[in-house]
Amino acid sequence: MIALQEEALPCHFGRDNELFGLYHAAAGVATKAVLLCPPLGQDLIRSHRVYRQLAETLAADGIASLRFDYYGSGDSAGRSVDVDWVRCVADIAAAAKELRSRSGCASVTAFGARLGGNLAIAAAAAAHFAELIIWDPILDGAAHVARLDALQAALRVDPMRFDTPRSAEDAAGQWLGFAVSPRLRQQLMQQSLQSPVVRVRVLDSLPATEAHDWDRLVTAGATVTTLNPSTMWDELDRLEHAILSPTLIRTVTEHVGEARR
Amino acid sequence: MKEHAFRFGRARHLVGVAGLPTTSTTPSDNVGVIVLNAGLVHRIGPFRMNVELTRRLNAVGYPTLRFDLSTLGDSGASAESQSRPQQICADVGDAMTLLHEQAGCRRFVLVGLCSGAENAHTVACTEARMAGAIFLDGYAYRTLGFMLRHYLPRLFNPGSWRSFLTRHARTDVEPEDSPDFRHEYPHRSAIRADLSGMLDRGLKLSFIYSGGVSRYFNHRRQFRECFGRVATHPSVSLSVLEDVDHTYTLDRDRGRLFDIIEAWLLRNFPVIDTSTSA
Repeated sequence: MIALQEEALPCHFGRDNELFGLYHAAAGVATKAVLLCPPLGQDLIRSHRVYRQLAETLAADGIASLRFDYYGSGDSAGRSVDVDWVRCVADIAAAAKELRSRSGCASVTAFGARLGGNLAIAAAAAAHFAELIIWDPILDGAAHVARLDALQAALRVDPMRFDTPRSAEDAAGQWLGFAVSPRLRQQLMQQSLQSPVVRVRVLDSLPATEAHDWDRLVTAGATVTTLNPSTMWDELDRLEHAILSPTLIRTVTEHVGEARR
Repeated sequence: MKEHAFRFGRARHLVGVAGLPTTSTTPSDNVGVIVLNAGLVHRIGPFRMNVELTRRLNAVGYPTLRFDLSTLGDSGASAESQSRPQQICADVGDAMTLLHEQAGCRRFVLVGLCSGAENAHTVACTEARMAGAIFLDGYAYRTLGFMLRHYLPRLFNPGSWRSFLTRHARTDVEPEDSPDFRHEYPHRSAIRADLSGMLDRGLKLSFIYSGGVSRYFNHRRQFRECFGRVATHPSVSLSVLEDVDHTYTLDRDRGRLFDIIEAWLLRNFPVIDTSTSA
């Protein structure tokens, strides 16, 4: 018998209903649930479609999931400049609680792309995740900040975008379309990939030119899977291109499905 | 903030977020503002622009809805056998019905950027509940004036040659057999006739062009060259933001855009203070 898949349900949850989410019920009775932690900034917009596709594929495979936006991002309350690392970690814990409540599943896996992966690690203990699947997480926060600064500097003088270069003042305090607080900037500077408290699977689709230094995670028991083709996260020419990856969706769904059996 | 998320529509296939005013005011004509997708970006808009805009309009008294058209963002398909323009008109009709149910709106202003402007135009041609539209980088056509302004100064400017060569080098990497998804604009006379029809029906129209479309629009005068008497109709307003890019990447530019939109709405559909009414 084929179980009918329910449509995703948009909702608000968390403190004062400030967080926006979309709950994807499983076809049939859910035996496992996955919290889909988004990345930050433009990566969130670029990966929106792949997160939707992943959630729908998981649901068809009998796995419930929740997509959501952190405070200050997406459809959640707050301004973009209000995005804060500590609040994001708390939002993940609130989202995990919401997912458990809706799905009835005690065991929750977290998935996160880029900084969404780093945030999932940071929230792993508080959110009681059973496992983490992290896709191209940020290895070095200071290097990431430097890269975003360089991209922002290039953006304001990009002839494909502006006929006349814009001033440094016009572009200050922002990364690729989003206002950034000095506090978040400082928080990201201090990030490094922490040793997780639970089992981690790293999905690596970073281009060959990037560092692939997963040693610390592997030492802590993580497994690394290389995905092809590479994902071009940090190219100005692709700033407004969607990230699509059928390989990622297949790999995550198979992994969660196997772990469930 | 008073926002509510909905799954709605004739096939429950659409996803959107309605925002209610945070003030004790009602817009004249019970107008609500609906913001359409820009290209394939989901309803939050490029760099979250639709979220910022709708919340700002809620703060001055306008009910709003930002939502995903069929198959875009989080919306699904309606399973009807319809052309894309028919789907878009039906989807926006469903959005109007939702905002009427939630906020009592009877007439609507559509806001659309790029393909969103084209979709707003399509709906405005036939939808009786439309009160106005704000077209961001909507239809425009190259004119003789455009050509002169565009090419003459560039001929003698080394920087322009450098810029041209940079663009050429970067667009040259497209493989020759890559699919071409560009679409042709309708003929200028058809768009002009559509706009005349909208104005005859009493719609208020705002056209806002950014510097990001300087490859086809480069001066206020061009608007008159494109659309003739439509351009000088009292219900038409025009703004040109020459130094701004197509998707308003910089925070300051989004602020300028929102100032223009808010002022236009308040001018054409003023809000009435209802806190003292019986």
